[in-house]
Amino acid sequence: MSARDTILSRLRETLRQPHLPFPPAHSDPLTHAERMTVTHAEGDPWTLAERFAQELTAVKGSCELLETETEARLSIISRLQLWVEEEQAARKTAEAERAGDFDVLSWPLEQLRIESLPLILKEIGFKLIEPTDLHDPQQRERIRPIRAGITTVEAAFASTGSFVVGGRGANARAASLTPFRHLVVIPFSKLYATGEEWLAQMRHAGRLDDYLRQSRNLSIITGPSKSADIEGNLTMGVHGPKVVHAILFDDLQQ
Amino acid sequence: MQVDFNAPYKNRVQQALNDPNLRVAVSKATDRMTDARLASMDAVEGQKLRSQVRQMKQHVLRNWPDYLQQLESNLTRNGCTVHWAEETEDAQNIVREIALQNSAKLVVKSKSMATEEIHLNHALEEVGLRVVETDLGEYIIQLADEPPSHIVAPVIHKRLEEIAEVFQDKLDMPPTREPTKMTSLARARLRQEFFSAGMGISGCNFAIAETGAICIVTNEGNGRMVSSMPRVYVVVMGIEKLVPTVEDAFLQLQALCRSATGQNLTVYCSMTSGPRQEGDVDGPEQVHVVLLDNGRSRMLARGYGEALLCIRCGACLNACPVYQEIGGHAYGSTYNGPIGAVITPALAPEISQFKELPHATSLCGACREACPVKIDLPRLLLDLRSDLVQENASPKTEAWGIKSYASLMSSRRMYESLGKMASIGSNLYAGMSGGNIKFMPPPFNGWTAYRDFAPFAPKSFRQWWKERSKLRGQT
Repeated sequence: MSARDTILSRLRETLRQPHLPFPPAHSDPLTHAERMTVTHAEGDPWTLAERFAQELTAVKGSCELLETETEARLSIISRLQLWVEEEQAARKTAEAERAGDFDVLSWPLEQLRIESLPLILKEIGFKLIEPTDLHDPQQRERIRPIRAGITTVEAAFASTGSFVVGGRGANARAASLTPFRHLVVIPFSKLYATGEEWLAQMRHAGRLDDYLRQSRNLSIITGPSKSADIEGNLTMGVHGPKVVHAILFDDLQQ
Repeated sequence: MQVDFNAPYKNRVQQALNDPNLRVAVSKATDRMTDARLASMDAVEGQKLRSQVRQMKQHVLRNWPDYLQQLESNLTRNGCTVHWAEETEDAQNIVREIALQNSAKLVVKSKSMATEEIHLNHALEEVGLRVVETDLGEYIIQLADEPPSHIVAPVIHKRLEEIAEVFQDKLDMPPTREPTKMTSLARARLRQEFFSAGMGISGCNFAIAETGAICIVTNEGNGRMVSSMPRVYVVVMGIEKLVPTVEDAFLQLQALCRSATGQNLTVYCSMTSGPRQEGDVDGPEQVHVVLLDNGRSRMLARGYGEALLCIRCGACLNACPVYQEIGGHAYGSTYNGPIGAVITPALAPEISQFKELPHATSLCGACREACPVKIDLPRLLLDLRSDLVQENASPKTEAWGIKSYASLMSSRRMYESLGKMASIGSNLYAGMSGGNIKFMPPPFNGWTAYRDFAPFAPKSFRQWWKERSKLRGQT
């Protein structure tokens, strides 16, 4: 008998015993109707965006709320420029500028639907690095020193200041993981009050199961990487980004 | 001072108690985590959350084989390879085989109690692999050559100064007491390992049966690195780590985060549903899931199924006055604290292999109150003690003592005469030693080693009541 069959038959046999102390014979599942929403949030998109900002800030992230796509474009550009300046200033050497300062590990930005964003970023000197295969040693080495990453999201939850990034196709998992700073762009149309609400909508639309399978990897991210392992001292940026900055913009009015 | 893991239980406890650094470090951290948990659970409907997660997990256990088969079928459909392991050696062999087949030389690991349970690092190192722990706390204790001492905070027993010494000795770091500098060095060193490793290994916080997804929860991001960067990703999961649906997973995730660290959500919850497909930029080419029994089915059959509800948050450790005093290493087992005192003997081939652990408790019930799935740990500890007696595993003197006590308590005459004798004897003895008894012969010397023993009252309660009633003119 294989290990699988041995384990399964042992469990079945035990569960058939009439006087087994645990679990009780009648153990009902938790139904969709009775399952609670743990952390609540509600309101119009701006109220939710404000709540998102409040929650993300509480876990040491930062956030901007913007009214239009144009403002979002400007803000993305100025944030990336600010980060380059900060990186150069931090190095404090005579030759503060180095090749690669303007490299940004990126998801294909067309999916943001912010007009001309990739073009403008390129024009002002940024190189949007969109790897195709990170098991290729050359591409892997290419992304290693990159200090900034930019992605959008699958969904974001106001109640906890969290966002979901997927990992399939051209959307590299690395873009939200390996750089020191992560710029995440969230249109209001991707913002939900709670994670429970997002799951309920996906379930209702009959998309949840396929979506999860096809995603291969989904990560719910709530703030910058951190640890308190050294005697409770909070340190940021242990393996993932030390800086997480979210730009939320209202795409629902357009 | 380090606890000697090979020493007998009593000596380990004594060594732990003699270490003032340990008590300060553990108390400080556990108090902080307990406060965070209480605040976090109070901020939501905490009791309802506990009841719902318990209900969900209880249902899983009742339908355990069905959910395991559903998970297996969905993982396979998603392109993962599923392995089943009955015991420690089986799991070790499976992972070793995967590593050898893929010619992996370097393995990066995310913190995992299941792999600690099967001593996987040692098993892999035996065949020439280099294994690197990547959770910051685990990395520190790996450098210090120690096992973890807490389920979620492995280096809880070390103070800043001790950790700084480890960095200095093992990584040649210039002397510093700045945690940010130590973290930066660890980040740089481990980044190199992530980019070079041929295989990543993690545990599993929960697996979703309906879709076949493996979920791991971290604050640092090492779980995402381990499951994304190497070509081969291996998950070692206890067979009880199941949830039926995605919604159940999200519910348990929140109970776990709030109970473990008091966070609404940890920084990262990573769900892997399968290997990379054509056109994916990154992700592992192979995903292997090892379903580990290693005593879990035995535990159910022995009647300790309730402990299989555990979601490994560590809340019971933080609440336990015994754990706060002695830390994790004194338990001498992979799992420690109240939950460890239950599941270590219950998972073992013989309960008596860990016969001291069910006594490493004050039975105060703080663990039950802290548990996010309301496991009745004090009752399970008492059940284990009872089983140990049934197995004749308790000391002969204890069995003899209990028997004598039972016959004494069931005879009024004998009880009264012995009470009288004890009163006369103890008062005489106490009178000679200045009021209190300062020394008693074995086996009672355990008491007088640390405190005096007060003599018995000169009169029994019945005698006193009789006299009092007479004085009041009652019969």
